[in-house]
Amino acid sequence: MGSIPRRHFCDTAMVKDAIHLFRRFVGTLRFKLSFYVGLVVFLTVVAFTYHSISIQEEHLVSARVQGALKDSAVIKAAIWNGMMTKDREVIRQIVKAIGEQEGFKEINIYDWRGILHYTNNGSPTAVLGEHLSEQENPLLKNIDTNASVRYQFIDQGMLLNVVNPLVNTKSCSTAGCHAHPESIAVLGALEVKLRLEGLRTQILHTARETYIFAFLLFVLISTIIGLGVIFFVTRPLRRLEARANQMARGEYSPDVPRKGHDSIAALYRAFDEMSRQINERTREVEQSRKMYKELFEKVPCYISVVDKDYCIVRENEAFKLEFGDQVRKHCFEGRKGLDSKCENCQVEKTFADGLSHRSEEVWNPDSSDKEAYVIVHTSPILDEAGQVAEVMEMSLDVTRIVKLQLELAKREQEFQNLIANVPCYLTVVDRSFRIAFYNKIFAKDFGDCWGKSCFEAYKRRDSKCENCPVEKTFADGATHTSEEVWHQNGHEVYIVTYTSPITDESGEIVAVMEMCTNVTELKLLQNELAVLGETIAGMSHSVKNVLSGLEGGVYVVDSGLRSGRDDRVRLGWQMVKKNVEKVSDLVKDILYASKERQPEYQECDPATILQDLYDLYVGKARGKGIELIKNFEPSMGVGLLDPKGVHSAVSNLVSNAIQACNPATGRDCHHVIIGGRLENARLFIQVADDGIGIPENVRQNLFTKFYSTKGSKGTGLGLVVTRKIVEEHGGTIKVESTPGKGTTFFIEVPLRPTERNKALAAV
Amino acid sequence: MAKKILIIDDEPDMVTFLCALLEDHGYVTITAADGEEGMTKIKSEKPDLISLDLLMPNKTGIKMFRELRKDDEIKDIPVVMVTGFGKDDVPSMDFKEWIQKRAIRPPEAYIEKPVNKEVLLAAIKKAIG
Repeated sequence: MGSIPRRHFCDTAMVKDAIHLFRRFVGTLRFKLSFYVGLVVFLTVVAFTYHSISIQEEHLVSARVQGALKDSAVIKAAIWNGMMTKDREVIRQIVKAIGEQEGFKEINIYDWRGILHYTNNGSPTAVLGEHLSEQENPLLKNIDTNASVRYQFIDQGMLLNVVNPLVNTKSCSTAGCHAHPESIAVLGALEVKLRLEGLRTQILHTARETYIFAFLLFVLISTIIGLGVIFFVTRPLRRLEARANQMARGEYSPDVPRKGHDSIAALYRAFDEMSRQINERTREVEQSRKMYKELFEKVPCYISVVDKDYCIVRENEAFKLEFGDQVRKHCFEGRKGLDSKCENCQVEKTFADGLSHRSEEVWNPDSSDKEAYVIVHTSPILDEAGQVAEVMEMSLDVTRIVKLQLELAKREQEFQNLIANVPCYLTVVDRSFRIAFYNKIFAKDFGDCWGKSCFEAYKRRDSKCENCPVEKTFADGATHTSEEVWHQNGHEVYIVTYTSPITDESGEIVAVMEMCTNVTELKLLQNELAVLGETIAGMSHSVKNVLSGLEGGVYVVDSGLRSGRDDRVRLGWQMVKKNVEKVSDLVKDILYASKERQPEYQECDPATILQDLYDLYVGKARGKGIELIKNFEPSMGVGLLDPKGVHSAVSNLVSNAIQACNPATGRDCHHVIIGGRLENARLFIQVADDGIGIPENVRQNLFTKFYSTKGSKGTGLGLVVTRKIVEEHGGTIKVESTPGKGTTFFIEVPLRPTERNKALAAV
Repeated sequence: MAKKILIIDDEPDMVTFLCALLEDHGYVTITAADGEEGMTKIKSEKPDLISLDLLMPNKTGIKMFRELRKDDEIKDIPVVMVTGFGKDDVPSMDFKEWIQKRAIRPPEAYIEKPVNKEVLLAAIKKAIG
């Protein structure tokens, strides 16, 4: 039962296989080429043969027709002779004889009525007298005297029917036997039927042979072409195919260049060239692939390739080294320690828009040792369809740089604070002396000075200062210092300016930092210290003199006591006493100079004080050849003064004046003038001399310095005390002096009104 | 015979002291209060040694010292300069240095005030025995 369908199936499969094989065969190039070329040749030969046979047939038929015409002319001539002799039998014999010639089928002679008179085919009697109407005999239809041939093929072309008219001639119409009326032009027709079978057969035979030849040619050509294709095309193509396959596997390298000039050789050469180029390209691609691979692995930043599920697909060495193998893990897990993807995920963005993205991230911000500042860059990896298949994420750890930056920023802030709050004026000026920076303290004291020049801002000058330290620093790149005195709010301010260069990367000086420190307090303290130093030196000198005197006195007393000389004891004791007094005076002066005290105001007339002084010194002065001159009224008016103080103050001046008039001036006589007047409740006192004068350097600290020209006789504190007394009275003291010509002291004291003056003023 | 010493000083206390000191040590003293008187006494008394104060009225000690050294008659008399100013007191008044620069024979000794008795006596002893 089951065997039948299987067999059927087998048959079907075999048929199918056969059809498949046939199709494959039909589809091959060699079949197509050989078949169609053969077919074309075949058809060409057939067409040519057909054409040639047709022409040949035409020629042959035409020759037969011409032959038939000639024969019919001969027959006509024979008939005519028969007619002329009236020997019908001769005519029949001729017809019979000719009709027995090869190729003649029938020879018939009809009269003008269509009656057959002579034939070689059977008995003419059978047809003799048989009347055929003109209409019935097609041979006679439309026949005329023209001897031209009428012929037609009948019996399927196997017979050639030639019809010749029998024309009425004079001989005929005048013949004695039976005359044919002259009016009848055509007396009858000769019909010759020629056999064409032989000719046709020959032609058909020739045609058959030609067709067989054409078919054989078709087979031969097809075979040759097929073989040619197999040998010259298919095989080389197979070999090329094999090479192409080799090449596809990357195993092919072109060997020796193929010689020859045919197309296949050219094709081979082209193929080899192509494979060489492909090999070259492949090597280049391989090289760059290796390079990129190397780059991917060795580049000193973390590279990972992430798929759409945020899983790491590939990672480079640096990544693996730092975070361990993270392939097939989520990108946010291992290195960032997160449970879900980051908020601002660059990978997600790149997947969304197919563009590269960049961000700066902080990883593990809660862990001090794992915290990392990272620059993340993502770029898409596209598949064949141009869709983002994966994203490459590159992370560069910039923790150290960021920490340095933060540190730097902190330091910068510290420096800025330092500069802003440094307790001096700090400015930065450019080469044209324009201020490019200033600190807080500067702004507080000088206001907004952006773009102003330093000399304008600091000193309200129109041009740069002489001896400008900024200029010097620009010139030599060194630090310079200058000490200057500025006038601020009517006070003298001592400033020390330091300048130092600010250089750019190439070491060129682009600006100068100017730091001005107010050292007024320091300067005053320095001056005071200097004065104090000199005061102490002067004081020590005085004390030394006193001690020297005391020591001498003590020795003299001792000596007197040892030798029992009373006079020496007395002298010595006086020395001791005198020096004790000196110490006493010195101490009093020091106390007076250093202690804050209020003048003991009393109502008095300044003239009285001046007169007392005159009286005191006039004798002493005269003893030294000095004339003491009064230049005040005996009574100047009453005011409130400390008479003792004023007395001491002026006494020091007069004493100094007398001292100044020493013989060194070379003059014989000197003058000291004591002057005084009361004016607008102010007391003016002058003490002038024409002595040696006071040199400039001494004059500077005249009222502050411990200074004496009197050797062991003065304490050196006289003028200090004088100034103090005058200032305690609210007055001033000035000095004018020309060395070698003399000195004048001016005292000006405001006079307090007495109670009585007040009362008088009230009235 | 006791050596004679002329004390020239404008300060009476100093004169008294020096007289007492030198007499106690066996010298004879004569005194002068200023340069002019000093020159007169040098010439009339012919002292063996002169104690000269630098700062004095009527011819300062320096002026007098120069004259003294130029005078052939008296130029060999030893001189002890007694001065109230050391260079520590007034640097510009360093007489010792000033005199040494001059082409004259310097004084035999400098004694600064306050006078150290032993130093003075040693200097005198060295000069005149």
